[in-house]
Amino acid sequence: MSYLEIKDLEISFPTPKGKYIAVKNINLSIKKGEIISIIGHSGCGKSTIMNAVAGMLSPTSGTVQLDGKTIKGPGPDRGIVFQNYSLLPWLSVHENIFQAVDSVMNCSTKEKHEIVDYNLEMVNLLSHRDKLPGQLSGGMKQRVAIARAFAINPGVLLLDEPFGALDAFTKSSMQLEVLKLWNLNNRDKTIIMITHDIEEALFLSDRIVVLNDGPASTIREIVEVHLARPRNKIEFVKTAEYIELRDKLLHLLTEEFSIEDLGVVYKS
Amino acid sequence: MSDKNTLTINSIDSENNVSTAIKKSFLEENLKLKLAVNALIIKSKSLLLACVGLFLFGGFWSLLSIYTEDALPGPVATLTVLKEMLSDPFYDYGPNDKGIGLQLFNSIKTVLFGFLLGSLIAIPIGILMGASTICKQIFYPIVQLLKPVSPLAWFPIGLVVFKDTGMATIFIVFITSLWSTLINTSFGVASIPQDHKNVAKAFGFSKMRYLTKILIPYSLPHIITGLRLSISVAWLVIVAGEMLSGGAGIGFFVWDSWNALSLEKVISAILIIGIVGLLFDRIFTFIENKVAYKA
Repeated sequence: MSYLEIKDLEISFPTPKGKYIAVKNINLSIKKGEIISIIGHSGCGKSTIMNAVAGMLSPTSGTVQLDGKTIKGPGPDRGIVFQNYSLLPWLSVHENIFQAVDSVMNCSTKEKHEIVDYNLEMVNLLSHRDKLPGQLSGGMKQRVAIARAFAINPGVLLLDEPFGALDAFTKSSMQLEVLKLWNLNNRDKTIIMITHDIEEALFLSDRIVVLNDGPASTIREIVEVHLARPRNKIEFVKTAEYIELRDKLLHLLTEEFSIEDLGVVYKS
Repeated sequence: MSDKNTLTINSIDSENNVSTAIKKSFLEENLKLKLAVNALIIKSKSLLLACVGLFLFGGFWSLLSIYTEDALPGPVATLTVLKEMLSDPFYDYGPNDKGIGLQLFNSIKTVLFGFLLGSLIAIPIGILMGASTICKQIFYPIVQLLKPVSPLAWFPIGLVVFKDTGMATIFIVFITSLWSTLINTSFGVASIPQDHKNVAKAFGFSKMRYLTKILIPYSLPHIITGLRLSISVAWLVIVAGEMLSGGAGIGFFVWDSWNALSLEKVISAILIIGIVGLLFDRIFTFIENKVAYKA
Protein backbone atom coordinates (compact mmCIF):
# COMPACT_ATOMS: atom_id res chain seq x y z
CA MET A 1 0.00 0.00 0.00
CA SER A 2 1.56 3.26 -1.03
CA TYR A 3 1.59 6.29 1.24
CA LEU A 4 0.81 8.96 -1.32
CA GLU A 5 -1.29 7.93 -4.29
CA ILE A 6 -2.00 10.13 -7.30
CA LYS A 7 -4.65 8.51 -9.53
CA ASP A 8 -5.62 9.68 -13.05
CA LEU A 9 -5.00 13.27 -12.04
CA GLU A 10 -6.13 15.93 -14.46
CA ILE A 11 -6.05 19.64 -13.72
CA SER A 12 -7.46 22.22 -16.08
CA PHE A 13 -8.27 25.89 -15.83
CA PRO A 14 -11.08 27.76 -17.52
CA THR A 15 -9.79 30.53 -19.77
CA PRO A 16 -11.63 32.94 -22.09
CA LYS A 17 -10.46 30.76 -24.99
CA GLY A 18 -11.83 27.60 -23.42
CA LYS A 19 -10.49 24.88 -21.15
CA TYR A 20 -6.73 24.86 -20.63
CA ILE A 21 -5.48 21.44 -19.55
CA ALA A 22 -2.31 21.78 -17.49
CA VAL A 23 -1.64 18.13 -16.68
CA LYS A 24 -3.50 14.88 -17.34
CA ASN A 25 -3.20 11.12 -16.82
CA ILE A 26 -0.85 11.56 -13.89
CA ASN A 27 -0.46 8.31 -11.95
CA LEU A 28 2.12 8.08 -9.24
CA SER A 29 2.41 6.10 -6.04
CA ILE A 30 4.96 7.11 -3.49
CA LYS A 31 6.18 5.11 -0.50
CA LYS A 32 6.67 6.58 2.93
CA GLY A 33 10.15 8.06 3.30
CA GLU A 34 10.80 8.25 -0.42
CA ILE A 35 12.44 11.29 -2.01
CA ILE A 36 10.91 12.07 -5.39
CA SER A 37 12.01 14.76 -7.83
CA ILE A 38 9.77 16.15 -10.52
CA ILE A 39 11.74 17.48 -13.45
CA GLY A 40 10.68 19.06 -16.72
CA HIS A 41 10.78 22.21 -18.77
CA SER A 42 9.25 25.47 -17.60
CA GLY A 43 5.48 25.52 -17.88
CA CYS A 44 5.11 21.74 -18.01
CA GLY A 45 2.87 21.58 -14.97
CA LYS A 46 5.36 20.62 -12.26
CA SER A 47 4.00 23.18 -9.86
CA THR A 48 0.45 22.24 -10.77
CA ILE A 49 1.01 18.66 -9.61
CA MET A 50 2.70 19.89 -6.45
CA ASN A 51 -0.15 22.32 -5.71
CA ALA A 52 -2.61 19.47 -6.09
CA VAL A 53 -0.70 17.44 -3.49
CA ALA A 54 -0.47 20.55 -1.28
CA GLY A 55 -4.23 21.00 -1.57
CA MET A 56 -3.91 24.50 -2.99
CA LEU A 57 -5.55 23.32 -6.22
CA SER A 58 -8.33 20.81 -6.48
CA PRO A 59 -8.17 18.18 -9.23
CA THR A 60 -10.47 18.56 -12.20
CA SER A 61 -10.65 14.78 -12.24
CA GLY A 62 -8.83 11.98 -10.50
CA THR A 63 -7.72 11.92 -6.87
CA VAL A 64 -4.76 12.51 -4.64
CA GLN A 65 -4.76 10.33 -1.54
CA LEU A 66 -2.47 10.62 1.43
CA ASP A 67 -2.42 7.70 3.88
CA GLY A 68 -5.70 6.48 2.39
CA LYS A 69 -7.50 9.80 2.74
CA THR A 70 -8.37 12.01 -0.22
CA ILE A 71 -6.73 15.42 -0.06
CA LYS A 72 -9.33 18.18 -0.06
CA GLY A 73 -7.26 21.19 0.98
CA PRO A 74 -4.04 22.26 2.62
CA GLY A 75 -3.26 20.50 5.88
CA PRO A 76 -0.64 20.16 8.58
CA ASP A 77 0.33 16.70 7.27
CA ARG A 78 2.11 18.45 4.38
CA GLY A 79 4.81 21.09 4.83
CA ILE A 80 5.55 23.37 1.92
CA VAL A 81 8.74 25.22 1.03
CA PHE A 82 7.97 27.83 -1.58
CA GLN A 83 10.28 28.86 -4.37
CA ASN A 84 10.60 32.45 -3.15
CA TYR A 85 10.89 31.66 0.56
CA SER A 86 7.53 33.33 1.36
CA LEU A 87 8.54 34.59 4.76
CA LEU A 88 6.50 37.40 6.27
CA PRO A 89 8.86 40.41 6.20
CA TRP A 90 7.40 42.10 9.31
CA LEU A 91 7.91 39.06 11.55
CA SER A 92 11.22 37.93 13.03
CA VAL A 93 12.71 34.59 11.99
CA HIS A 94 11.41 33.01 15.19
CA GLU A 95 7.93 34.55 14.78
CA ASN A 96 7.70 33.40 11.16
CA ILE A 97 8.09 29.78 12.23
CA PHE A 98 6.12 30.25 15.45
CA GLN A 99 3.01 31.47 13.59
CA ALA A 100 3.01 28.27 11.53
CA VAL A 101 3.63 26.04 14.56
CA ASP A 102 1.08 27.91 16.66
CA SER A 103 -1.50 27.58 13.90
CA VAL A 104 -1.01 23.85 13.38
CA MET A 105 0.18 22.17 16.60
CA ASN A 106 -1.72 21.34 19.75
CA CYS A 107 0.63 21.84 22.67
CA SER A 108 1.54 24.51 25.21
CA THR A 109 2.96 27.84 24.07
CA LYS A 110 6.23 27.04 25.81
CA GLU A 111 6.57 23.77 23.92
CA LYS A 112 5.78 25.55 20.66
CA HIS A 113 8.60 28.04 21.25
CA GLU A 114 10.91 25.12 22.02
CA ILE A 115 9.92 23.40 18.76
CA VAL A 116 10.73 26.59 16.85
CA ASP A 117 14.12 26.99 18.50
CA TYR A 118 14.95 23.31 17.99
CA ASN A 119 14.27 23.59 14.28
CA LEU A 120 16.23 26.84 14.00
CA GLU A 121 19.11 25.07 15.72
CA MET A 122 18.89 22.27 13.12
CA VAL A 123 19.47 24.74 10.28
CA ASN A 124 22.11 26.64 12.28
CA LEU A 125 20.09 29.83 12.53
CA LEU A 126 19.35 29.97 16.24
CA SER A 127 21.65 32.97 16.65
CA HIS A 128 19.60 34.82 14.03
CA ARG A 129 16.21 34.09 15.60
CA ASP A 130 15.32 37.72 16.31
CA LYS A 131 16.34 39.11 12.93
CA LEU A 132 13.87 40.14 10.26
CA PRO A 133 13.94 38.25 6.93
CA GLY A 134 15.15 41.43 5.21
CA GLN A 135 18.39 41.15 7.19
CA LEU A 136 19.14 37.62 5.94
CA SER A 137 20.82 36.32 2.79
CA GLY A 138 18.87 34.24 0.27
CA GLY A 139 20.30 30.97 1.57
CA MET A 140 19.45 31.87 5.16
CA LYS A 141 15.89 32.79 4.19
CA GLN A 142 15.47 29.45 2.48
CA ARG A 143 16.80 27.68 5.58
CA VAL A 144 14.16 29.48 7.63
CA ALA A 145 11.52 28.33 5.15
CA ILE A 146 12.81 24.74 5.40
CA ALA A 147 12.88 24.93 9.20
CA ARG A 148 9.29 26.20 9.11
CA ALA A 149 8.18 23.28 6.94
CA PHE A 150 9.93 20.74 9.20
CA ALA A 151 8.74 22.42 12.40
CA ILE A 152 5.11 21.44 11.88
CA ASN A 153 6.32 17.84 11.65
CA PRO A 154 4.48 16.88 8.46
CA GLY A 155 4.56 13.43 6.88
CA VAL A 156 5.18 14.93 3.45
CA LEU A 157 7.49 17.79 2.52
CA LEU A 158 6.81 19.63 -0.70
CA LEU A 159 9.73 21.62 -2.05
CA ASP A 160 8.87 23.82 -5.02
CA GLU A 161 12.16 24.63 -6.76
CA PRO A 162 13.60 25.33 -3.34
CA PHE A 163 17.12 26.22 -4.41
CA GLY A 164 16.39 27.77 -7.78
CA ALA A 165 17.24 31.28 -6.64
CA LEU A 166 20.46 30.35 -4.83
CA ASP A 167 24.04 30.42 -6.07
CA ALA A 168 25.79 27.11 -6.76
CA PHE A 169 27.73 26.91 -3.46
CA THR A 170 24.76 27.78 -1.27
CA LYS A 171 22.65 25.37 -3.28
CA SER A 172 25.03 22.50 -2.64
CA SER A 173 25.12 23.10 1.12
CA MET A 174 21.31 23.42 1.20
CA GLN A 175 20.94 20.02 -0.45
CA LEU A 176 23.04 18.52 2.34
CA GLU A 177 20.94 20.44 4.86
CA VAL A 178 17.78 18.81 3.55
CA LEU A 179 19.36 15.35 3.59
CA LYS A 180 20.56 15.95 7.15
CA LEU A 181 17.06 16.81 8.32
CA TRP A 182 15.63 13.83 6.44
CA ASN A 183 18.13 11.52 8.18
CA LEU A 184 17.51 13.09 11.58
CA ASN A 185 13.84 12.23 11.08
CA ASN A 186 14.77 8.55 10.56
CA ARG A 187 14.27 8.90 6.81
CA ASP A 188 10.53 8.54 7.28
CA LYS A 189 9.51 11.90 5.82
CA THR A 190 8.37 11.73 2.23
CA ILE A 191 9.86 14.51 0.14
CA ILE A 192 8.59 15.68 -3.21
CA MET A 193 10.79 18.24 -4.88
CA ILE A 194 10.50 20.20 -8.08
CA THR A 195 13.79 20.99 -9.75
CA HIS A 196 15.42 22.01 -13.01
CA ASP A 197 18.75 20.58 -12.02
CA ILE A 198 19.62 17.02 -13.10
CA GLU A 199 22.57 16.67 -10.71
CA GLU A 200 20.46 17.90 -7.82
CA ALA A 201 17.71 15.44 -8.69
CA LEU A 202 20.18 12.55 -8.85
CA PHE A 203 21.94 13.55 -5.64
CA LEU A 204 18.75 13.69 -3.60
CA SER A 205 16.14 11.39 -5.09
CA ASP A 206 15.08 7.78 -5.04
CA ARG A 207 13.01 8.33 -8.16
CA ILE A 208 12.85 11.11 -10.74
CA VAL A 209 9.59 11.88 -12.52
CA VAL A 210 10.21 13.38 -15.96
CA LEU A 211 7.29 15.31 -17.41
CA ASN A 212 6.48 15.99 -21.06
CA ASP A 213 6.16 19.57 -22.23
CA GLY A 214 2.84 21.27 -21.63
CA PRO A 215 0.07 21.99 -22.25
CA ALA A 216 -1.70 18.80 -21.21
CA SER A 217 1.56 17.30 -20.07
CA THR A 218 1.82 13.74 -18.88
CA ILE A 219 4.50 11.69 -17.19
CA ARG A 220 7.16 10.85 -19.76
CA GLU A 221 9.13 8.44 -17.66
CA ILE A 222 9.94 7.63 -14.07
CA VAL A 223 13.66 7.06 -13.58
CA GLU A 224 14.79 4.96 -10.61
CA VAL A 225 17.97 6.03 -8.86
CA HIS A 226 19.68 3.17 -7.03
CA LEU A 227 22.79 5.07 -5.96
CA ALA A 228 23.76 4.03 -2.43
CA ARG A 229 23.20 6.44 0.46
CA PRO A 230 24.78 8.42 1.97
CA ARG A 231 25.85 9.93 -1.33
CA ASN A 232 29.00 11.95 -1.57
CA LYS A 233 28.93 15.01 -3.83
CA ILE A 234 32.38 14.33 -5.21
CA GLU A 235 32.32 10.56 -5.36
CA PHE A 236 28.84 9.89 -6.68
CA VAL A 237 29.34 11.78 -9.93
CA LYS A 238 32.20 9.40 -10.78
CA THR A 239 30.09 6.25 -10.58
CA ALA A 240 29.02 4.52 -13.78
CA GLU A 241 25.41 4.59 -12.66
CA TYR A 242 25.42 8.36 -12.19
CA ILE A 243 26.87 8.90 -15.66
CA GLU A 244 24.38 6.53 -17.24
CA LEU A 245 21.41 8.13 -15.45
CA ARG A 246 22.55 11.66 -16.23
CA ASP A 247 22.83 10.84 -19.94
CA LYS A 248 19.43 9.22 -19.88
CA LEU A 249 17.85 12.25 -18.22
CA LEU A 250 19.59 14.65 -20.59
CA HIS A 251 18.25 12.68 -23.55
CA LEU A 252 14.77 12.75 -22.05
CA LEU A 253 14.89 16.51 -21.52
CA THR A 254 16.68 17.88 -24.55
CA GLU A 255 17.64 16.88 -28.06
CA GLU A 256 20.50 19.25 -28.66
CA PHE A 257 23.88 18.62 -27.10
CA SER A 258 26.33 20.59 -29.23
CA ILE A 259 26.26 23.35 -31.80
CA GLU A 260 26.31 20.68 -34.50
CA ASP A 261 22.88 19.62 -33.34
CA LEU A 262 21.79 23.19 -34.06
CA GLY A 263 22.98 22.82 -37.67
CA VAL A 264 26.20 24.77 -37.17
CA VAL A 265 29.26 23.28 -38.81
CA TYR A 266 32.36 23.84 -36.71
CA LYS A 267 35.41 24.69 -38.78
CA SER A 268 38.80 24.65 -37.12
CA MET B 1 70.79 32.04 20.32
CA SER B 2 67.99 31.13 18.06
CA ASP B 3 65.59 31.41 20.99
CA LYS B 4 66.67 34.97 21.59
CA ASN B 5 66.24 35.74 17.95
CA THR B 6 62.70 34.53 17.90
CA LEU B 7 62.01 36.54 21.03
CA THR B 8 63.23 39.76 19.48
CA ILE B 9 61.29 39.12 16.34
CA ASN B 10 58.22 38.42 18.44
CA SER B 11 58.59 41.60 20.43
CA ILE B 12 59.05 43.67 17.31
CA ASP B 13 56.06 41.95 15.84
CA SER B 14 53.82 42.72 18.82
CA GLU B 15 55.02 46.33 18.87
CA ASN B 16 54.15 46.54 15.22
CA ASN B 17 50.75 45.11 15.97
CA VAL B 18 50.10 47.69 18.68
CA SER B 19 51.08 50.53 16.43
CA THR B 20 48.90 49.25 13.57
CA ALA B 21 46.03 48.87 16.01
CA ILE B 22 46.45 52.45 17.14
CA LYS B 23 46.72 53.62 13.56
CA LYS B 24 43.60 51.65 12.69
CA SER B 25 41.56 53.06 15.55
CA PHE B 26 42.86 56.52 14.70
CA LEU B 27 41.77 56.05 11.09
CA GLU B 28 38.38 54.83 12.23
CA GLU B 29 37.97 57.87 14.49
CA ASN B 30 39.01 60.05 11.62
CA LEU B 31 36.49 58.44 9.32
CA LYS B 32 33.71 58.86 11.87
CA LEU B 33 34.59 62.52 12.29
CA LYS B 34 34.64 63.02 8.54
CA LEU B 35 31.22 61.44 8.19
CA ALA B 36 29.81 63.59 10.99
CA VAL B 37 31.26 66.74 9.44
CA ASN B 38 29.85 65.74 6.04
CA ALA B 39 26.40 65.20 7.53
CA LEU B 40 26.62 68.58 9.24
CA ILE B 41 27.62 70.30 6.00
CA ILE B 42 24.72 68.71 4.13
CA LYS B 43 22.28 69.71 6.88
CA SER B 44 23.50 73.29 7.16
CA LYS B 45 23.45 73.57 3.38
CA SER B 46 19.79 72.57 3.19
CA LEU B 47 19.01 74.90 6.11
CA LEU B 48 20.79 77.74 4.34
CA LEU B 49 18.87 77.10 1.12
CA ALA B 50 15.59 77.01 3.08
CA CYS B 51 16.54 80.40 4.54
CA VAL B 52 17.21 81.71 1.03
CA GLY B 53 13.72 80.57 0.04
CA LEU B 54 12.13 82.23 3.05
CA PHE B 55 14.11 85.39 2.40
CA LEU B 56 12.94 85.52 -1.24
CA PHE B 57 9.36 84.95 -0.07
CA GLY B 58 9.69 87.77 2.50
CA GLY B 59 11.14 90.06 -0.18
CA PHE B 60 8.30 89.35 -2.58
CA TRP B 61 5.80 89.89 0.24
CA SER B 62 7.42 93.25 1.14
CA LEU B 63 7.30 94.35 -2.50
CA LEU B 64 3.62 93.43 -2.69
CA SER B 65 3.03 95.36 0.51
CA ILE B 66 4.77 98.45 -0.89
CA TYR B 67 2.87 98.07 -4.18
CA THR B 68 -0.50 98.03 -2.36
CA GLU B 69 0.61 101.05 -0.28
CA ASP B 70 0.43 99.07 2.95
CA ALA B 71 -3.13 97.87 2.37
CA LEU B 72 -1.40 94.48 2.59
CA PRO B 73 0.69 94.60 5.73
CA GLY B 74 4.36 93.74 5.28
CA PRO B 75 6.36 91.09 7.15
CA VAL B 76 7.51 93.38 9.93
CA ALA B 77 4.03 94.70 10.75
CA THR B 78 2.63 91.17 10.62
CA LEU B 79 5.31 89.66 12.83
CA THR B 80 4.72 92.38 15.45
CA VAL B 81 1.03 91.49 15.56
CA LEU B 82 1.86 87.77 15.57
CA LYS B 83 4.17 88.29 18.54
CA GLU B 84 1.42 90.15 20.34
CA MET B 85 -1.06 87.35 19.58
CA LEU B 86 1.34 84.71 20.84
CA SER B 87 2.17 86.64 24.01
CA ASP B 88 -1.30 85.95 25.40
CA PRO B 89 -2.78 83.11 23.34
CA PHE B 90 -5.34 81.82 25.85
CA TYR B 91 -7.34 84.92 26.87
CA ASP B 92 -11.10 84.64 26.80
CA TYR B 93 -13.20 87.81 26.65
CA GLY B 94 -16.53 86.26 25.76
CA PRO B 95 -17.71 84.29 22.69
CA ASN B 96 -16.42 86.72 20.02
CA ASP B 97 -13.05 87.55 21.50
CA LYS B 98 -10.78 84.64 22.29
CA GLY B 99 -6.99 84.17 22.11
CA ILE B 100 -5.42 82.47 19.08
CA GLY B 101 -4.38 79.51 21.24
CA LEU B 102 -7.98 78.79 22.26
CA GLN B 103 -9.18 79.12 18.65
CA LEU B 104 -6.45 76.81 17.43
CA PHE B 105 -7.20 74.32 20.18
CA ASN B 106 -10.86 74.35 19.17
CA SER B 107 -10.04 73.67 15.50
CA ILE B 108 -7.59 70.88 16.30
CA LYS B 109 -10.19 69.29 18.60
CA THR B 110 -12.82 69.40 15.86
CA VAL B 111 -10.46 68.02 13.23
CA LEU B 112 -9.21 65.19 15.42
CA PHE B 113 -12.73 64.21 16.46
CA GLY B 114 -14.08 64.20 12.89
CA PHE B 115 -10.94 62.52 11.59
CA LEU B 116 -11.09 59.80 14.25
CA LEU B 117 -14.75 59.03 13.50
CA GLY B 118 -14.07 59.03 9.76
CA SER B 119 -11.08 56.72 10.13
CA LEU B 120 -13.01 54.31 12.34
CA ILE B 121 -15.53 53.92 9.53
CA ALA B 122 -13.13 54.15 6.58
CA ILE B 123 -10.53 51.58 7.68
CA PRO B 124 -12.91 48.63 8.19
CA ILE B 125 -14.87 49.41 5.03
CA GLY B 126 -11.58 49.85 3.15
CA ILE B 127 -10.45 46.42 4.37
CA LEU B 128 -13.74 44.88 3.26
CA MET B 129 -13.49 46.57 -0.14
CA GLY B 130 -9.93 45.34 -0.57
CA ALA B 131 -10.64 41.81 0.57
CA SER B 132 -13.90 41.10 -1.24
CA THR B 133 -14.89 41.88 -4.81
CA ILE B 134 -18.56 41.96 -3.81
CA CYS B 135 -17.92 44.62 -1.16
CA LYS B 136 -15.88 46.57 -3.66
CA GLN B 137 -18.69 46.45 -6.19
CA ILE B 138 -21.15 47.63 -3.53
CA PHE B 139 -19.12 50.52 -2.13
CA TYR B 140 -16.87 51.70 -4.93
CA PRO B 141 -19.54 53.48 -7.00
CA ILE B 142 -20.62 55.45 -3.91
CA VAL B 143 -17.03 56.42 -3.22
CA GLN B 144 -16.49 57.50 -6.81
CA LEU B 145 -19.68 59.55 -6.76
CA LEU B 146 -19.11 61.33 -3.47
CA LYS B 147 -15.33 61.73 -3.39
CA PRO B 148 -15.18 64.67 -5.84
CA VAL B 149 -17.82 66.64 -3.92
CA SER B 150 -16.44 69.58 -1.94
CA PRO B 151 -16.90 68.69 1.73
CA LEU B 152 -18.48 72.13 2.32
CA ALA B 153 -21.48 71.01 0.30
CA TRP B 154 -22.25 68.63 3.17
CA PHE B 155 -22.55 71.48 5.64
CA PRO B 156 -26.30 72.10 5.17
CA ILE B 157 -26.95 68.39 5.52
CA GLY B 158 -25.00 68.37 8.77
CA LEU B 159 -27.01 71.35 9.96
CA VAL B 160 -30.32 69.67 9.17
CA VAL B 161 -29.37 66.38 10.78
CA PHE B 162 -27.60 67.66 13.90
CA LYS B 163 -29.20 71.10 14.27
CA ASP B 164 -25.90 72.38 15.61
CA THR B 165 -23.13 74.24 13.78
CA GLY B 166 -20.36 72.64 15.84
CA MET B 167 -21.65 69.17 15.05
CA ALA B 168 -22.10 70.12 11.40
CA THR B 169 -18.43 71.16 11.25
CA ILE B 170 -17.38 67.84 12.74
CA PHE B 171 -19.63 66.17 10.18
CA ILE B 172 -17.87 67.79 7.21
CA VAL B 173 -14.47 66.86 8.65
CA PHE B 174 -15.79 63.32 9.08
CA ILE B 175 -16.88 63.15 5.43
CA THR B 176 -13.56 64.62 4.29
CA SER B 177 -11.58 62.07 6.28
CA LEU B 178 -13.25 59.10 4.63
CA TRP B 179 -12.05 59.03 1.06
CA SER B 180 -8.26 58.89 1.07
CA THR B 181 -8.24 56.41 3.94
CA LEU B 182 -10.89 54.27 2.28
CA ILE B 183 -9.13 54.15 -1.09
CA ASN B 184 -5.64 53.61 0.31
CA THR B 185 -6.77 50.92 2.72
CA SER B 186 -8.64 49.00 0.06
CA PHE B 187 -5.70 49.32 -2.32
CA GLY B 188 -3.31 48.05 0.36
CA VAL B 189 -5.47 45.06 1.21
CA ALA B 190 -6.14 44.24 -2.45
CA SER B 191 -2.43 44.20 -3.21
CA ILE B 192 -1.43 41.56 -0.63
CA PRO B 193 0.90 39.27 -2.62
CA GLN B 194 -0.24 35.74 -3.41
CA ASP B 195 2.90 34.49 -1.64
CA HIS B 196 1.67 35.78 1.70
CA LYS B 197 -1.79 34.34 1.10
CA ASN B 198 -0.19 31.00 0.23
CA VAL B 199 1.62 30.95 3.57
CA ALA B 200 -1.70 31.45 5.35
CA LYS B 201 -3.28 28.69 3.27
CA ALA B 202 -0.42 26.21 3.58
CA PHE B 203 -0.12 26.56 7.34
CA GLY B 204 -3.86 26.73 7.98
CA PHE B 205 -4.00 30.23 9.44
CA SER B 206 -7.31 31.10 11.09
CA LYS B 207 -9.17 34.23 9.89
CA MET B 208 -7.96 36.09 12.99
CA ARG B 209 -4.33 35.07 12.49
CA TYR B 210 -4.55 36.09 8.82
CA LEU B 211 -5.97 39.46 9.81
CA THR B 212 -3.44 40.24 12.54
CA LYS B 213 -0.31 38.65 11.09
CA ILE B 214 -0.70 39.23 7.36
CA LEU B 215 -3.48 41.59 6.30
CA ILE B 216 -2.95 44.40 8.80
CA PRO B 217 0.87 44.39 8.89
CA TYR B 218 0.98 44.32 5.09
CA SER B 219 -1.53 47.11 4.54
CA LEU B 220 -0.58 49.30 7.52
CA PRO B 221 1.84 51.52 5.54
CA HIS B 222 -0.93 52.08 2.96
CA ILE B 223 -3.47 52.82 5.69
CA ILE B 224 -1.18 55.36 7.37
CA THR B 225 -0.56 57.07 4.01
CA GLY B 226 -4.34 57.29 3.61
CA LEU B 227 -4.67 58.77 7.10
CA ARG B 228 -1.95 61.30 6.36
CA LEU B 229 -3.71 62.45 3.18
CA SER B 230 -7.06 62.51 5.00
CA ILE B 231 -5.88 64.66 7.87
CA SER B 232 -4.18 67.15 5.56
CA VAL B 233 -7.41 67.59 3.59
CA ALA B 234 -9.38 67.76 6.84
CA TRP B 235 -7.12 70.55 8.01
CA LEU B 236 -7.73 72.36 4.71
CA VAL B 237 -11.46 71.98 5.10
CA ILE B 238 -11.73 73.03 8.74
CA VAL B 239 -10.74 76.64 7.96
CA ALA B 240 -13.44 76.97 5.33
CA GLY B 241 -15.90 75.08 7.53
CA GLU B 242 -15.39 77.39 10.47
CA MET B 243 -15.82 80.42 8.23
CA LEU B 244 -19.26 79.03 7.44
CA SER B 245 -20.18 77.87 10.93
CA GLY B 246 -18.68 80.84 12.77
CA GLY B 247 -18.35 81.21 16.49
CA ALA B 248 -15.14 79.33 17.14
CA GLY B 249 -11.95 78.03 15.61
CA ILE B 250 -9.07 79.31 13.52
CA GLY B 251 -11.28 79.63 10.43
CA PHE B 252 -13.70 81.84 12.35
CA PHE B 253 -10.69 83.82 13.60
CA VAL B 254 -9.56 84.50 10.01
CA TRP B 255 -13.02 85.65 8.98
CA ASP B 256 -13.50 87.72 12.13
CA SER B 257 -10.12 89.40 11.65
CA TRP B 258 -11.04 90.20 8.03
CA ASN B 259 -14.28 91.78 9.21
CA ALA B 260 -12.32 93.79 11.75
CA LEU B 261 -9.98 94.75 8.88
CA SER B 262 -6.95 93.36 10.67
CA LEU B 263 -5.02 91.77 7.82
CA GLU B 264 -2.00 91.36 10.09
CA LYS B 265 -4.09 88.89 12.10
CA VAL B 266 -5.31 87.16 8.93
CA ILE B 267 -1.75 86.62 7.68
CA SER B 268 -0.57 85.54 11.13
CA ALA B 269 -3.39 83.00 11.23
CA ILE B 270 -2.36 81.75 7.77
CA LEU B 271 1.19 81.17 9.05
CA ILE B 272 -0.12 79.31 12.08
CA ILE B 273 -2.46 77.18 9.96
CA GLY B 274 0.49 76.29 7.75
CA ILE B 275 2.67 75.29 10.67
CA VAL B 276 -0.02 73.09 12.23
CA GLY B 277 -0.67 71.43 8.86
CA LEU B 278 3.04 70.76 8.51
CA LEU B 279 3.13 69.24 11.99
CA PHE B 280 0.23 66.88 11.20
CA ASP B 281 2.03 65.79 8.06
CA ARG B 282 5.30 65.24 9.92
CA ILE B 283 3.64 63.17 12.63
CA PHE B 284 2.05 60.83 10.10
CA THR B 285 5.23 60.63 8.03
CA PHE B 286 7.02 59.58 11.21
CA ILE B 287 4.42 56.85 11.87
CA GLU B 288 4.64 55.79 8.23
CA ASN B 289 8.38 55.24 8.56
CA LYS B 290 7.83 53.35 11.82
CA VAL B 291 5.46 50.81 10.30
CA ALA B 292 7.34 50.40 7.02
CA TYR B 293 9.12 47.05 6.57
CA LYS B 294 11.82 45.83 4.28
CA ALA B 295 10.75 43.02 1.96
